[in-house]
Amino acid sequence: MSALLELKNVSKIYGSLHALDHVSLKVEQGEWLAIMGPSGSGKSTMMNIIGALDKATEGEILLDGVDIAKKTAKALTEIRRDKIGLIFQQFHLVSYLTAVENVMLSQYYHSVPDEKEALEALERVGLKERARHYPSQLSGGEQQRVCVARALINYPEIILADEPTGNLDEANEEIVVELFRKLHEEGTTLVVVTHNPEVAEVAQRTIVLRNGKVERETVNPNFTGKIKHITLQ
Amino acid sequence: MKKRKMYFRMITASLLRRRSRMIIALLAIAIGATILSGLLTIYIDVPRQMRTQFRNYGANMILTPAEERIQPEAVAAALSFISQDEIVGVAPYRYETVRINDRPVLAAATDMQGAKAASPFWRVDGEWPDSDGEIMVGKNVADLYLLRVGSKTTATYMPEEATEDTLDNSSDFTVTGILDTGGKEEDYVYMSFADMQQLTGKDKGYDVCELSVSADAEGLRAYADRITGELSSVNAKLVKRVTQSEDTVLSKLQALVLLVTVVVLMLTMICVATTMTAVVAERRKEIGLRKALGASNSSIIAEFMGEGIVLGAVGGLLGALLGFWFAQTVSVNVFNSSIVLMPWLVPVTLLASVLVTAIACMIPIRSATDVDPALVLKGE
Amino acid sequence: MFIRMIAKAFFRQWKKMAMIAFTIALGASLATAMLSVMLDVGDKVNQELKAYGANITVVPKGTSVLSSLYEMGEDENISGAYLKEEELGKIKTIFWAFNIADYAPFVNAELTLDNGDTVKMRGTWFNHHLSLPTGEELDAGVTSMRSWWDVIAGDWLDEQDDSGLMQAMVGRDLAEKEGLHAGDVLHLQGSSADAEVKITGIFDAGGDEDSEIYVPLDLAQDLAGLEGKIDSIEVSALTTPDNELAEKAAKDPSSLSVSQYETWYCTAYVSSICYQIEEVISDSVASAVRQVADSEGQILEKTQLLMVLITILSLIGAALGICNLVTASVMERSQEIGLMKAIGAHNIAITALVLTEIFCTALIGTALGFFAGIGFAQIIGHTVFQSAISVKPMVVPIVIVLVALVTLVGCIPAIRMLQSLRPTEVLHGR
Repeated sequence: MSALLELKNVSKIYGSLHALDHVSLKVEQGEWLAIMGPSGSGKSTMMNIIGALDKATEGEILLDGVDIAKKTAKALTEIRRDKIGLIFQQFHLVSYLTAVENVMLSQYYHSVPDEKEALEALERVGLKERARHYPSQLSGGEQQRVCVARALINYPEIILADEPTGNLDEANEEIVVELFRKLHEEGTTLVVVTHNPEVAEVAQRTIVLRNGKVERETVNPNFTGKIKHITLQ
Repeated sequence: MKKRKMYFRMITASLLRRRSRMIIALLAIAIGATILSGLLTIYIDVPRQMRTQFRNYGANMILTPAEERIQPEAVAAALSFISQDEIVGVAPYRYETVRINDRPVLAAATDMQGAKAASPFWRVDGEWPDSDGEIMVGKNVADLYLLRVGSKTTATYMPEEATEDTLDNSSDFTVTGILDTGGKEEDYVYMSFADMQQLTGKDKGYDVCELSVSADAEGLRAYADRITGELSSVNAKLVKRVTQSEDTVLSKLQALVLLVTVVVLMLTMICVATTMTAVVAERRKEIGLRKALGASNSSIIAEFMGEGIVLGAVGGLLGALLGFWFAQTVSVNVFNSSIVLMPWLVPVTLLASVLVTAIACMIPIRSATDVDPALVLKGE
Repeated sequence: MFIRMIAKAFFRQWKKMAMIAFTIALGASLATAMLSVMLDVGDKVNQELKAYGANITVVPKGTSVLSSLYEMGEDENISGAYLKEEELGKIKTIFWAFNIADYAPFVNAELTLDNGDTVKMRGTWFNHHLSLPTGEELDAGVTSMRSWWDVIAGDWLDEQDDSGLMQAMVGRDLAEKEGLHAGDVLHLQGSSADAEVKITGIFDAGGDEDSEIYVPLDLAQDLAGLEGKIDSIEVSALTTPDNELAEKAAKDPSSLSVSQYETWYCTAYVSSICYQIEEVISDSVASAVRQVADSEGQILEKTQLLMVLITILSLIGAALGICNLVTASVMERSQEIGLMKAIGAHNIAITALVLTEIFCTALIGTALGFFAGIGFAQIIGHTVFQSAISVKPMVVPIVIVLVALVTLVGCIPAIRMLQSLRPTEVLHGR
């Protein structure tokens, strides 16, 4: 398998702070990677750089064999639109749009909004019945599931999740993790930033960042790839 | 087109579901538009309205005979050159010297209704005469001959061709009013043409005819030139003191209203802009999210501008109506007359409010789209 | 801690605070400018209306009737009653002296030209320089009181001209009839003396004056042998529009009660100014020229009313604008306030914090806006009336109260929203 994403000697410097310090990393097609580390270790910076939300100070970032490090802001926007699905800790749903409209928003920027397809995506995350609700009428877990549906609607090459379970209780956390597992089964490449070991250990591989450097890298021995059967409501 | 449908769906959702914010924005725009259309209407209508006030200064055009006297037909002909709704008052006069208590006094025959309209500043103690046998005397005459309202007096006229022993014509009159003007009018006795004819036995010709016309100096000059040029029996002259001063003062007043309008509009538009900026600035995060989802700057601008334009148009329309209502209220209260409806003000107001709204929205949208979405999403 | 939090709020949110201050400054400047202009527009328009000439004429007692009645339009003074020239200065010493904008004495006589024609002469002030005992300096005369005259050739007569030549101005009709031009020297024969005068200008007055000759007062008195005597005085005074009291007083001042009399005497009604002029000029009758005085009152009233209504509209506009922005900017801070609630702040504490912040901002904005508003008022004053707008002290409290009230009202919906806010909802970003 060829590397879908490859970071070569990537640094991000804010003033005198080296948020990322010559980090190199490879993510294979279909891989499920977890990134861990304490606060301030550079997790979110790495996430933003991979997600084409922010630019690296130096280094190369190859996505699908293309270096995105030197791209213009406009080109990065197109890359985000076409290749990346984003999931945030704070959900970031548009408050005045319904669940299905939030999903369609992503389609709208990508290509053409299709309500049927958006409803199918919500069905996949178990929220078909809540499609017409506003974010304020949904629980935290439900909101995050809408975000998952929004992230996968355009069949991105890679889904990036930044602390996806940070605002969720245990039950909802499990549901979201199950969704990830399902996506992995289907062959989606997943990068999950988390500081929750329970979320990290279900991934194939975990890297731990400290002070902007990769401190250690472990392959999860318990990784089964199997889907636990839980019912989604 | 599916994409366009989603666009409208988003805009209507934003407008309808974020009601409290949208009302704030709408209110701001409507206030601005009201002030714009209201003040513009007043500015344009003020000269017309003020001109009627200036007619209080009395006659601004005088018709004098080219030969002996002006005949009523000549006055009618002269008036036909002037637009009917501009004529405020027409007062013809005929002067003769008559005697009261054997002392000479100037008697003026006039059309009382016309004189009242042409010289609104005349102050009459008592009543204007309204039937034959009634006269109005100037204040000085009243003092000299000890006449009061209700006094009866006899006026006599000595025909020019009369010899010593022919009897004078004489008529009895009742004084109905004492005239106070502070000018030479206080030295005259005013009566109707019928009484004058009976007393003097002369025809109805006029010595002079005063016109009060609601037009600017240029318009008046054009009328006067035309009357003098086309009618051989009449000369029309402008009362320079009135016309010139009216133009001076009116132009000042118009400049005043213009400048006030400009200052108020400028400040109001900035006020509207800051409110719109505040309302949009609140949505920085949303802009960041849309960018993170892969929206290009131009599509974000298109969406937010779409909202702004709808708001601007609705607010503008509301303001245009309210502004007209305001101008109408002002006009009725200040000038006791209603305003002329200017339909072109509606599109102008609409356009201006859309423009101001668009510019005001552009500033925060630009500042949000120029920043990396990661930073915006973090809330900084 | 309270002060520290407010200081922090200012420091961190200076952009937002600056915007609020800016909007409040705009509103305050609008209010200041409009109020100043509105309160001063009466005086300014009154000045402009002086273009219509005198609104009071003063004649000797008794002659007012006789001269015009018996001479049928000839202004020859046959009654022998005159006003005294030495008393002219007293007009500027009456109670309403400050409201006397301009005045000019007149002396009328007939002259004979070399070709035997008789012409009507008026002696008057042109730009007569007055140094009053009060220290006031004033140029009075027909140059400013006959603003509607067009000088079609030459220039206005300048009394300060010290070339030693005696001067005169000639009406258009007379100039045409006698073939006179500006710059010509004309020989005038009066009843008691004769003089050579230089014609400085030909005027077009659009009235009877066009067939008359105007000369300086002292020359006219010499020619006619009327040293120290004048026939009439025209006075241009700034007046208050008449009301019922003024009309009652104009008929008979003695019919008023003491307090009514005080009010009337101390108000610049045209009738009370007339009355005061009669008090200082012996044996005189001062009467209002209704054509000018009445119309002035009407136009003044309309203009003021118009300005009042425009001012009200702009005040409402400014008020709503400020209200709106305050509401919008407080609502924006829901997250921060949710956090404060979560850590145990009471509604009262939060309200006090928000109000103090906004009011400090408003204070700065009002101060800036006030001076900007005075600037706008001056721009209007200088552009339209070529003179400064005097800012009445009462504008200050009005603007302050207005801004305070409006800011408070603007805070109400926002504060009600803040108080009903539940911290958990805000913090979870819903």
